[in-house]
Amino acid sequence: MTKDVIVCRCEGTTLEEIATIAAEYQCSAREVKLRTRAGMGYCGGRTCRGFIDYIVSHHSNHQELTLHHRPPVRPIPFALFREVNDE
Amino acid sequence: MVDLLIIGAGPAGLAASIEAASRNLSVTIIDEFTTPGGRLLGQLHEEEKDVWWNGVEEAHTLHEKAQENGVELLLETSVYKIQQEDVYWSTHTSAGIYHSKALLIATGATEQSLPLPGWTLPGVMSIGAAQVMTNVRHVKPGEKGIIIGLNALSFAISRELRLCNIDLEGFFLPPDHFLTTDQAKPLSVLNNLMTLSHLAPMNWMRLGGKIANNNRWIQKQTLSFYPKRGINIWQTPVHVRKAVTSINGSTQVESVTVVDLRADGTMIEGSEENLEVDFVCISGGLAPLTELIGLTDLKLIAIESLGGYVPVHFEDMRTEVTDLYVAGNITGIESAKVARAQGVVAGISACIHSFNLRNDDALEIAMEKVRKERAEAKLQFHPEIEKGRTLLYSEKGEVQYG
Amino acid sequence: MNNFRITDHPILKIPSSRSVISFTFNGVNYNALDGDTIASALLVNGIRAIREHEESGQPRGLYCNIGHCFECRVTVNEREGQRSCITKVSNGMDVQSSKKLPTPFKKEEAQYG
Ligand SMILES: Cc1cc2nc3c(=O)[nH]c(=O)nc-3n(C[C@H](O)[C@H](O)[C@H](O)COP(=O)(O)OP(=O)(O)OC[C@H]3O[C@@H](n4cnc5c(N)ncnc54)[C@H](O)[C@@H]3O)c2cc1C
Ligand code: FES
Repeated sequence: MTKDVIVCRCEGTTLEEIATIAAEYQCSAREVKLRTRAGMGYCGGRTCRGFIDYIVSHHSNHQELTLHHRPPVRPIPFALFREVNDE
Repeated sequence: MVDLLIIGAGPAGLAASIEAASRNLSVTIIDEFTTPGGRLLGQLHEEEKDVWWNGVEEAHTLHEKAQENGVELLLETSVYKIQQEDVYWSTHTSAGIYHSKALLIATGATEQSLPLPGWTLPGVMSIGAAQVMTNVRHVKPGEKGIIIGLNALSFAISRELRLCNIDLEGFFLPPDHFLTTDQAKPLSVLNNLMTLSHLAPMNWMRLGGKIANNNRWIQKQTLSFYPKRGINIWQTPVHVRKAVTSINGSTQVESVTVVDLRADGTMIEGSEENLEVDFVCISGGLAPLTELIGLTDLKLIAIESLGGYVPVHFEDMRTEVTDLYVAGNITGIESAKVARAQGVVAGISACIHSFNLRNDDALEIAMEKVRKERAEAKLQFHPEIEKGRTLLYSEKGEVQYG
Repeated sequence: MNNFRITDHPILKIPSSRSVISFTFNGVNYNALDGDTIASALLVNGIRAIREHEESGQPRGLYCNIGHCFECRVTVNEREGQRSCITKVSNGMDVQSSKKLPTPFKKEEAQYG
C-alpha cells in the first residue's frame, strides 16, 4: 500500500519513497526534501510538510524539524519574487 | 502606515478590528478569501433544538460592525511575507506592501489530510471543502459521497451536507498506514469518539449511550458486536469496522473500495466491496496555520490538545516579539465563539501594549469571556483543550520551546 | 449543466436574483451566476478536472476550496497560478487550465530534429 500512497501531491512523491530515502541516508527532513523533491513543489509543502517531518522523525535519527518557513509563504508572480529575494 | 494591521478576517480578526477601531486605532484587515468571515462562513450547527449557529449571519454582523467603526478591509489579497523593521511591521501582499506599528496574525487553521491510494482524483476533497461548497457557494459537491475519517468536524459537516439533500454512503476509516495510525484503528477511534459525548445536543450521545463511556472492556465488546450496517447519526451510517482502501476512477471519482475490519483493525480478506460514489470527503482534523509565524523570531511549541504547533503567547494574546499579537485558531483549534472572544482580547491588548491605552478592566473581562466560551463550547476539537491552555499560560518557562 | 446548484435550504437564505454571466474555460463558453468562484462555476457545469498535473498529466480538481493547497490553480486572463476556488468569475473571463508539459526533447532529437 505505501507505494500507492502519494504524500506530496505536487511532486507525486510516495510514502515509500520518502521513508526509504530517510532510512537510507539517515538525514534531515530538509535533505529528504531535496533528494525526493517532496514538499518542494508548487504549493511549498503546505499539505505535506507535517507528514514529511513525521516520516523522517521515525525513519531517520535526525530530529530537526522544518518549521522555519522561508518567504514567500504563498507562491507569487515572478515579478514580485525578485523583490522578496532581494531583501 | 496604519496603527494595527490584521492578517485574517475570520471571527478573531474581525472581532479584534472592532475593539481596536472603536478605541480610535486605524485598522486594516487583509484576507485572501472572497468574503469576510473566514471559516465561520461555512458553519451551521444546531446548538440546541431549533437554535442554530449560523456562521454566515455571525460573519455578516461582525463585518457590519467593523465597517461602522471605519475598519479598512482588503479581500482577495494574499500575505506572503512579514518583516519587522525598526519601529514598524512590513506586510508583503499580492497587492503591495503595507506598514503598521502593530501586527495581529489571525490566520486560523488548516485541514490535515489522510493520504490514501487515489486521493488525487478530481472529486476527492477535504471535508471543509464540501462545507464551503454547499454553505458558502451553494453548490453540491456531488450526488453521492462518502466520508473518510471519524471526528467532530466530519460529524458536524455531514449534517450540513444532509440539509442540502446530499446522499452520503457513510463514515469510514482511512486505510491503516504509517500516516493514518490512530485515525485508522477501530479501538482508538471509538475511544476518541467517546470523548465527544459533550456533543450530546448533536445526537452523538445516542451512540455514546450505547457504548458506555471510558470503559475499555465495554468498548472492546462494543467493537466485537458493532452492527455491520453501522450506527446512524443524522441518517448517515458510522462504520468503525470498515475502511476505504482505495478511491477509484479514470478521470474522476467513480467508486471506492471498502473492506471489513476485525475488532483489532486487521482486514478481513475477501470482504472487499466497491461502492459507487461521485465524491469523497477526507477529514483528518485541523491544525493551526502558522506559516507566517515561521518567518518571525517567535517560537512555536507543540501542544497536542491545541492541534499541533502553536506560537508561544500570553493569555492576553501578546507575544514575546514587540507589537506582534496572535488570536483565534492559530493559537489552538477551538470553536468560532472562542476565536471571536480571543479576537476581542487581542484588539484591546494591542491598544494597551502598543498604544499606551489605559489598562482598565476591559482586558480582564475579555479574557474571562474567553474562558467562559471555552468551558461552554458545544463543539470541542480535543477533550484536553483546557489543559493545553493551562500549560501555555501558567507554566510558561517550564515547557520546552520548539 | 447538472443539478448541483442549491436553490433552497431549510436554514440558509439562498439569494435568488443573481445575474447570469459567461466565461470561457479552455476556449469553451460556459454560464455562471454572479458571485460564483471559478471552481464552483466549473462544478455546476459538470467539470471536476480543473488542471492536469504538469509531469504526469493526471487530472486534478479542487481539494481544500479555501486557497491553501493550490491544487485548483488556473491561468486567468493570462495571469498564471490563480486559485480557482478563491477567484470569482467575471463576465467574459478567460480561464485556461495548466496542461501536462511536453517532455523535454532527447538530445539526438534536439540536435537533428
Ligand atoms: C475547513 C475548516 C472547517 C471548519 N469548520 C468548523 C465548524 O464547522 N465549526 C467550528 O466551530 N469550527 C470550524 N472550524 C474551526 C475554525 O477554525 C474556527 O471555528 C474559527 O473560524 C477560527 O477563526 P479564526 O478567526 O481564528 O480563523 P479563520 O476563520 O480560519 O480565518 C482566518 C482567515 O485568514 C485568512 N488567511 C490565512 N492566511 C492568509 C494569508 N497568508 N494571506 C491572507 N489571508 C490569509 C483566511 O483566508 C481566513 O479567512 C473549521 C476550520 C477549518 C479550517
Ligand atoms: S482547492 Fe485548495 S487552493 Fe483551491
